Amino acid sequence: MDRLTSWIARAVFVFLYLPIAALIVYSFNSSEVSYRFDGFTFRWYAELFADRMLLEALRTSAVVGLIAALLATVIGFLTAFALVRFRVKGRAFFVGAILIPLIVPEIVLGVSLLTVFSTAGIPTGLLTLVLGHVVITLPLATLVLMGAMSSLDPSLSEAATDLGASPWVTFRRVLFPLLRPSILAAFLLSFTTSFSNIVISTFTAGVGTTTLPLRIYSTLRTGLTPELNALGTLLVVATLGVILAVGVSQMRRILAGPTTTP
Amino acid sequence: MNKKVLALGALTLASATVLAGCSAGGDASSSGAAGDGSLSIYAWAGEIPDSVISGFEEETGITVTVDTFDSNETMISKLAAGNSGYDVVEPSQYAVQLMVERDLVAPIDQSKLEGFDNLAEKFVDPSFDPGNEHSIPWAWGTTGILYNEACTGAPVTGWKDMWNPAYSGKVYMLDNMLSAYIAGLQVNGLSATTTDEADIETATDSLLEQKALLGGYNSTNYADLVGTGDACIAEAYSGTTSATAVENNPDVKYIIPEEGGTLWTDSFSIVKGTANEDAAYQWLNYTLRPEVAALVTDDASLASTNEAALPLVADQSQVENPAIYAPAESLQNSEFIVDPGDALAFFQDGWTRVRAS
Repeated sequence: MDRLTSWIARAVFVFLYLPIAALIVYSFNSSEVSYRFDGFTFRWYAELFADRMLLEALRTSAVVGLIAALLATVIGFLTAFALVRFRVKGRAFFVGAILIPLIVPEIVLGVSLLTVFSTAGIPTGLLTLVLGHVVITLPLATLVLMGAMSSLDPSLSEAATDLGASPWVTFRRVLFPLLRPSILAAFLLSFTTSFSNIVISTFTAGVGTTTLPLRIYSTLRTGLTPELNALGTLLVVATLGVILAVGVSQMRRILAGPTTTP
Repeated sequence: MNKKVLALGALTLASATVLAGCSAGGDASSSGAAGDGSLSIYAWAGEIPDSVISGFEEETGITVTVDTFDSNETMISKLAAGNSGYDVVEPSQYAVQLMVERDLVAPIDQSKLEGFDNLAEKFVDPSFDPGNEHSIPWAWGTTGILYNEACTGAPVTGWKDMWNPAYSGKVYMLDNMLSAYIAGLQVNGLSATTTDEADIETATDSLLEQKALLGGYNSTNYADLVGTGDACIAEAYSGTTSATAVENNPDVKYIIPEEGGTLWTDSFSIVKGTANEDAAYQWLNYTLRPEVAALVTDDASLASTNEAALPLVADQSQVENPAIYAPAESLQNSEFIVDPGDALAFFQDGWTRVRAS
């Protein structure tokens, strides 16, 4: 039985990572068609860096992702703080309302956002794109941070207050360091969600703000090129880099012990 | 008391952040408004080569922003919502009709055009836009058959081969209603632009019958499937994808079915109420030049609507490749797929039955 489970686990692992491996291998394929491997080349990377529209889309996605994730994390932190720490009136209603964007189909959200923006006379663009992405990332960030905050021992901040710390000092010296991993998690989760979003972006993007997924999706009719494999490979490498950096810094913190020097 | 202050502070901070985000975003998105030497184009991906855009920018000093859409429907819905900010769009032929009907595109002042007579005859005064009042065709192609001769064993000549039980499980159709009906109608000797309920019913029956033979509906990687032989025969669009498949495998061929052909064309139209009308006309005139139009074949492997551009294409084998430029004789009976109007309901009804069977 144990053997079987371990083999299933391995098979699932292979299934998950095989496409990524194929993507990386084919990004170096000198053939234009994906079914034949002709030899090693950097040609697709060269074409990628010459593709103005694709790079522009990558930049848009990165900028929108960063702004949206930052907003979602800050607003999510404050919301979670208020909902966990204070007896806010209509708390259950707020918690429910925050979850709704997770449940409502994205296409409905997208259409409603576009309707609101066009009724209000706001031209679609970076602003509407960021707002749309905040709508879908805020619930995620709030949920992550609410979970982290509820599991935090309230006596820690009470002790800090007892020792004469002001609320701001308590926050800065006690709460924030303890919540840092969750804040980072909320930020990264929001960023990835925003970065990969297609549906909301379709409706909220405007002049000059075609995001990377929109750009890739729109190339379907004239055919995907190996250039996209090269782009995918770079994104995988970048993601691994972030994971490693986060992992290393967390390990350092764990190894160094719970010192909270400002 | 302290808690109240903190909660209030939190609220202020949250709203301040949102407002800061708003104004920052607002500045960025408002650049490119009213007639300030910029041009925003909403187009199909891969149909306007970078070389055309940078050439235009260098010559005119106008900054061009190109955004791409995945379907005519997405593009129309964004324009219909208003405030899209686009000056020029690139609808397909039936989408031109829909946009004219919904009053989304501006009439083109023919007196401001230079080089209009460079266009090939079949794109002047086309059925979907009489007098080119609202559209100037840019790229074109056909809907035909891509097949792998190593797999079919014999040359394929028409739609009837897509009903050949010998290829069972290796036949692929485009995952697009009107495109699938081209085959369904023409295989029965009917017009691909019919709006007759009985004709559409006949086509639906043929498509239902064909479904048993299908490997699937596929609009994305059919060219790879035909290349590997996983598909013997597939309904296909000419252009970049099919041209690549034909170039990479001598067994892969692209043909216009003998039962008749159909054309698609993507045209430039000026959005109604644009603030950059002058820039839009400069764009139309720039893209009507033969040396510029030739770039769509050189750099995007698509057929140009510009007759005068053909001799200027750097790689003349592209002009002779039927997967890019369909031979003139195969286009004699070809028509543009136009908006079916009220008959759309018959198509949708039939298509639902085909897909559900």
